[in-house]
Amino acid sequence: MISENPFSHILNELGETASWSYQEIAAHLPPDRTPVGYFCPFVPEELLQAAGAIPIRLMDTPVKISHAQAHLPAYCCHFVKSSLEHYLRGDLDFLQGIIFSQSCDSMKGLADTWTLQGRRAFQFNLMVPARLDSLLARDYFLTELKRLKNELEAKLGDISPQSLLEAIRLFNRIRERLRELYARMRSDPFRLSGAELAQVVQAGYRMDRARYLETLTRLLEIWPEQPLSGHPGVPLFLTGNMAHFPGWFSLIDEAGGRIVQDDLCSGGRTLRLMVREDLDPLEALVDRYFTTYLCPTKVQGPFAHQEILAKEIRESGAKGVIFLFFKFCEPYYFDYPDLKKFLEAQGLPTLLLEIEDPSQSREQLKIRLQAFVEMLS
Amino acid sequence: MPTEKQKSYREVKSVKDYRRLMKAYYLMAKNPKWFGKKVAWITSGGPVEPLYAMGVLPFYPENYGAMCGAGRTAVSLCETAEAEGYSRDLCSYARCDIGSALSGKGPLGVLPKPDFLVCGNNICGTVIKWYEIQARAFNVPLFLLDTPFIHNELEAHTVTYVRRQMEEYITFLEKMVKRPFSEKRFLKVSAWSLEAVGLWKEILELSRNRPAPFAAFDAFIHMAPIVTLRGTRWAVWYYKKLKKELEARVRNNEGAFVREEFRLIWDNIPIWYDIRNLSKMLSCRGAVLVADTYTSAWTLRPVDLQNPLESLARSYASVHLNLGLEHKIDKMVGLIKDYQADGFIMHSNRSCKTYSLNQFDLKKKVSERTGRPGLIIEADHTDSRSYVPDQVEKQIETFIEMINKK
Repeated sequence: MISENPFSHILNELGETASWSYQEIAAHLPPDRTPVGYFCPFVPEELLQAAGAIPIRLMDTPVKISHAQAHLPAYCCHFVKSSLEHYLRGDLDFLQGIIFSQSCDSMKGLADTWTLQGRRAFQFNLMVPARLDSLLARDYFLTELKRLKNELEAKLGDISPQSLLEAIRLFNRIRERLRELYARMRSDPFRLSGAELAQVVQAGYRMDRARYLETLTRLLEIWPEQPLSGHPGVPLFLTGNMAHFPGWFSLIDEAGGRIVQDDLCSGGRTLRLMVREDLDPLEALVDRYFTTYLCPTKVQGPFAHQEILAKEIRESGAKGVIFLFFKFCEPYYFDYPDLKKFLEAQGLPTLLLEIEDPSQSREQLKIRLQAFVEMLS
Repeated sequence: MPTEKQKSYREVKSVKDYRRLMKAYYLMAKNPKWFGKKVAWITSGGPVEPLYAMGVLPFYPENYGAMCGAGRTAVSLCETAEAEGYSRDLCSYARCDIGSALSGKGPLGVLPKPDFLVCGNNICGTVIKWYEIQARAFNVPLFLLDTPFIHNELEAHTVTYVRRQMEEYITFLEKMVKRPFSEKRFLKVSAWSLEAVGLWKEILELSRNRPAPFAAFDAFIHMAPIVTLRGTRWAVWYYKKLKKELEARVRNNEGAFVREEFRLIWDNIPIWYDIRNLSKMLSCRGAVLVADTYTSAWTLRPVDLQNPLESLARSYASVHLNLGLEHKIDKMVGLIKDYQADGFIMHSNRSCKTYSLNQFDLKKKVSERTGRPGLIIEADHTDSRSYVPDQVEKQIETFIEMINKK
């Protein structure tokens, strides 16, 4: 019997974690941590971690929508629908709490529907100011984080300054490793497929974070020095929602593209959420949202989205940009025409892929991707 | 098929004054330079009182969207925006405005260029994106009044946050018009605003009488001054006149419609391009919309003239669309009880997620609490392409029959 090499072993382990169903996540929880769900990077995982929770990020999954249809209209995104579907089916009953954060109108509505169902787990609605360019908003958000901290302490356990600092350090180290991983993907692009990269990232939202850091560190340590050779795919930049379903990444690979960086809400964008370790921990958590982190539901000036994105794309060396948006996602679709014009004026061709249930429209999207990659080749 | 003639409807006589008033407003809005005015585009839930206090003319792209819808010019404007890359799934008010700004076409021709923009996200997050687009297109400053959503209670730190932004808003306006803010003028404007809001509330409440003197379809039209001219003497003048006329109707036992057998409540923004037809569909079956959640959104909390900035902050932070589902359930239940309604119709509006997302739950809970049935019809407030009137008529017919059998 040939033993699996350690590098592949780690990849397989993370790949398996990324593909767990919610029931499987529940079966693999660390015994000393309480599972608490959340949706959005505006919820500071660090606070949850410091309170003794394991933060489980809920993401878009392929699921047949049946129960949610009785609560939501057809014209809301698949992410919102699939989250409610899982909740109503009882798949999320293992969570001891859920944290919503104010982002788009659909998520506000989902939070209310969630409350109305009156399940046992506690729910906290974190209000995130829309103005991420204002000192007044900083004060407001700090009060909101204090409210969240109090709620977590009441439900889970004390959060000492030391435990919060340790959690901040843990998540900062994870972001550093992920940043390094993205860099390796540029220097050694054939080592991991796009789908494997997506799985490595996605696994980090559903497993014990200390263990995740160890695994990432090990993966980078044993990363072979000699880059693998292969047919150079067209370097592409991916931007959009929390769309870390590995199938989307495989499609890009199959079409001859190669993701060199992304600005997905579930991926590269979160790497900008580094927290300063020299400030008061709560203030540092607030501070990070007022720098270069930008979700289209928030405001940092009318040109901020274009400028932040263009800078990252230039640095990545991408030859084209793929917009990966959930159908019905207003914040992204409003920004899209001006972003497209802005990027194309800089010589960066773009392609918009509208996505719903990850299990649908695959071939159609593939043809469009192939045409786009061919044009750039 | 409807058999009753439209004359079963009693036209509001003050409508002639209403038309004159709105014509004068649009004349100013179209030609601000003639009147030495700066123009600010503002959202329907935005704080307009400081604008009037500073002599700035507010222009409401949402009202303009409603005008495009009612005048059936919305689809071509939406298509102009769509040709630029704006998805058909986006709010059609925004698409109308963007299409109009791009093409210079629409019921008003070329829109008045804004000197600056004022956006309040108390009605939805959509307006943030929409106003950012226009800030880029016109290259003008944008002020955002951020009012965090109220799922449960209005918290003290939220009031502080909004009040401090109101102060920032005043400083922003001083910079825009290069003139100091006049406290005296602001108090006067606030007093007019308070009076107009009070009158509007009293007008709507007159329809608690049987028969209702003022149908929701009337309110959809006559709401324009409370949105655009709130804080001016003209809104007060007009609503005093309208109220007098409607009080006379109450005294004479005259309803907005000759026949009033079923009293219904409307939820959501109107289907602007089909108001007349919907009104006909209902009236020929003896049904009247006696109240709605939309026009009553401008019965804002009264301004405290001792502390106008703070009370405006509270008021604008807690408008109907910025409140959570429990509040919306309470409001609908309250309307049904206060107006003795037999049922309610909800417009599931593709263009407005804030209004529409929780309607299934809202319908269920309101029916449970009141015992009154609800009907959900699908449409869009201005884009008629996703509306099937025959289907809606069938739904209404069945719904009225069901109420009748109860």
